[in-house]
Amino acid sequence: MSATLTTDAAALSSAGGTPTTVATPTLRALLRRSSFWIFAFAGIVIVAIVGVFLSGGSNAAGRALAGDNAAPAGSMALVEVLRQQGVTVTLADSLVEVRDAVGADSTVLLYDENGYLDAGQLTELAEGAARTVVVAPDFLALQALAPSVGFGGVSDTASLTADCSVSAANRAENLLPGGATLSIPEGGHPLLTGCFASDAETFSLVQVESATGGLVSLVPDARVFNNENVTGYGNAALALGLLGESDSLVWYLPTLADLPRTGPPSLAELTPGWVSPVAVLLVLAAVAAAFWRGRRFGPLVAENLPVTVKASETMEGRARLYARSNARLRALDALRVGAVQRLARAVGLGRLAQLDEVIGTVARITGSAPAEVRRVLVDAIPHSDAQLMALSDALQALEQAACRAVKAGVVPAAEAAASASREFSPPPAERMEP
Amino acid sequence: MTLSGRFVLLVALGVVPIVWFGSSSEQAAGVLLLWLVFVLTLGAVDLALAASPRVVTIERMLPARVRLGESVTSELYLTNTGRRRLVGVVRDAWQPSAGAGRNRSRIVVPRGERRLVSLTLTPFRRGERRVEQVTVRTRGPLGLWNRQATLNAPGRIRVLPPFHARKHLPSRIARLKELDGRTSVMVRGQGTEFDSLREYVLGDDVRSIDWRATARRNDVMVRTWRPERDRRVVILLDTGRTSAARVDNEPRLDTAFEAALLLAALTSVAGDRVDFLAFDRRVRGRVQGATGAALLSQMVDSMAMIDPELIEMDWAAVPGQVRSITSQHALIVVLTSIDAAGASTGLLSVLPQLTKRHTVVVASVLDPATVLAAATRGGRTEIYRAAAAERALLDVARVSAAIRQLGADVVTASPAQLPPALADRYIALKAAGRL
Repeated sequence: MSATLTTDAAALSSAGGTPTTVATPTLRALLRRSSFWIFAFAGIVIVAIVGVFLSGGSNAAGRALAGDNAAPAGSMALVEVLRQQGVTVTLADSLVEVRDAVGADSTVLLYDENGYLDAGQLTELAEGAARTVVVAPDFLALQALAPSVGFGGVSDTASLTADCSVSAANRAENLLPGGATLSIPEGGHPLLTGCFASDAETFSLVQVESATGGLVSLVPDARVFNNENVTGYGNAALALGLLGESDSLVWYLPTLADLPRTGPPSLAELTPGWVSPVAVLLVLAAVAAAFWRGRRFGPLVAENLPVTVKASETMEGRARLYARSNARLRALDALRVGAVQRLARAVGLGRLAQLDEVIGTVARITGSAPAEVRRVLVDAIPHSDAQLMALSDALQALEQAACRAVKAGVVPAAEAAASASREFSPPPAERMEP
Repeated sequence: MTLSGRFVLLVALGVVPIVWFGSSSEQAAGVLLLWLVFVLTLGAVDLALAASPRVVTIERMLPARVRLGESVTSELYLTNTGRRRLVGVVRDAWQPSAGAGRNRSRIVVPRGERRLVSLTLTPFRRGERRVEQVTVRTRGPLGLWNRQATLNAPGRIRVLPPFHARKHLPSRIARLKELDGRTSVMVRGQGTEFDSLREYVLGDDVRSIDWRATARRNDVMVRTWRPERDRRVVILLDTGRTSAARVDNEPRLDTAFEAALLLAALTSVAGDRVDFLAFDRRVRGRVQGATGAALLSQMVDSMAMIDPELIEMDWAAVPGQVRSITSQHALIVVLTSIDAAGASTGLLSVLPQLTKRHTVVVASVLDPATVLAAATRGGRTEIYRAAAAERALLDVARVSAAIRQLGADVVTASPAQLPPALADRYIALKAAGRL
């Protein structure tokens, strides 16, 4: 039979001669199909690039007082105005650049927000330039450039007027109030000039004539120079006056490059030159290996799989329910009903035999007391799991004893004949049905 | 396009020139760049020289059917219609349960020639196993980069039920024959019909002497009898949700198939007519009016595509279906599952309609695990399990009793025992003349 079935007509699924159709799209078809996404992606990239260029390539805040920063905190306005006035403004990020740019008659603006410069660098800077404007000097800067000047706290007067001999300050007449101030020792100092006094000792501009002939202007309030406030009060006049006095201005905001390098040499300095290229090459080899192993050999094949339901699940579930609720009597009853039916069959009584008959017959052929058999089969109520197990064992022992006795031929012939006729009698009133 | 392990190795080999010539960092970076350009150029040239996998023409030769557990050979003919010699690997993408094993084969096809790739299939699931596509990967002369394309080459093979129960067939046929031979001494009556006249031999029942025939000839002639033939047997298969349950790691449905096939084989030998119907809410399979070898082949063919449906069996429609098959008296074998009383109400409600006209046998698989659990009383958990098993067996016994009370017959056995048990019941019914 199997031979006829398996060697049944061989089917030729694809006709010879006609070329087989290809499921994989060609590169051209792939490009055509995904052209929308390619163009969409390219469009997004172009829009993003154009957007970045239009927004000036900087984020909203930018570096404070940076000469190329058009944000409110920057100083591009001031720098552009100075350039229009014919001043050559050089933006410098490190002391090296300042050294290159500074000339004999240059002005240097220094705004060291993070305190990168040390005392030596500050002195060098002040000595190198004819005029130095230090914006918001910190403690170290004051120590190095004007040791007798101290901090004066925040100005609390509503208006600041120049009231001093500095011409730039006089031209400005007044200044943005509410900023930080510097203090000059009481009674004055021959080399110090204070302008825009908040009270007798605190000033918003202090000019120091250093021993080498350079002029250092200390402006404690950085807001005077930024785009947001430069147009208010006499800020612009003061700034232009201080910074525009010479043809060349170096706009210097120190960066990390000014920090002296310390510590052991870096890993790159210690290793030979080929290490990084080899690492790159190995990464590329790993990527190639990923493509090699990861490329699927054709699409996945789908198949519907049948559900797996174990038929005994309901039985297991019911067993767990019994166990969880400690339904000992209910469990034992199930065991008893099964045992009584098996006993009735074993001793030759029919399916519909009455319980008392089964008990009597079993007691007789096993030679045990009917009361004991009745206790095991009906009466005893288990109050603990130990009792339940004992009763279950007793049931099994009873069944085995009955089977042994039947095999040994204890059953009286009359008994068997009686049961045979009872098979067809109407169902008795008392039946062991669950 | 794909890469090969050889290409990966080639890329990694760049370490040698980089270390050798890269005395400084910049020089090493330059060597790296040169190496990458070299490797990519080599790969591109290799790819350009590889044969196109798109020009392959595929023909497939497949046997239409296979019995579950047996193996067949799937043949795939690849013709290279391109201008280059094709060297590569072919993957025949059969469904996993087609049992194709390792389905990648290396091939070399010169231009304009044809090569055979054969694959041994040993399906491990019944039903229709399909293959839709063949993937061809060709390599260039250097074996660095490969071209890959998937070609449509559909094929299907029908996996038939295994019919393991056929090992029981010879012994049951022998018992049928015994039944035949016994009839000359059997008291004639219901369930037997006149077979032939033959000469009296010592030991024959004198009551079966045909006096009229004896008068016509000089010898004493006796009539012989045989079991009635040309009875109708309807095998009704429940393919509803309960047939999906696994007993002994075999779905109930598959056990039912085995039993139905053995019964059908036996019945056709005995000369009775068999009709087969697989039903849940609609007809899933039907074989009517077939005889002999065609009967079994049609049955396995329709069974191959039947899977358990996760819906409730519509018992109310069953009498109508039976009536559409036969209006005469018939033996109706219902292969279903007898569980709890609640789940069997549908069956019990329609049984009277069936038993009124027909002889009905309800066959069901009994879970051996349940019987085993009822006898295992180790600890607390096992006792509760035994109680639950005992309760399940009692449920089966109660439903069986109810079915018997409605005039039908019940056969329950473990999956391995059900087919022969059902066959035995059929023989017993035939001997008793109840067909």
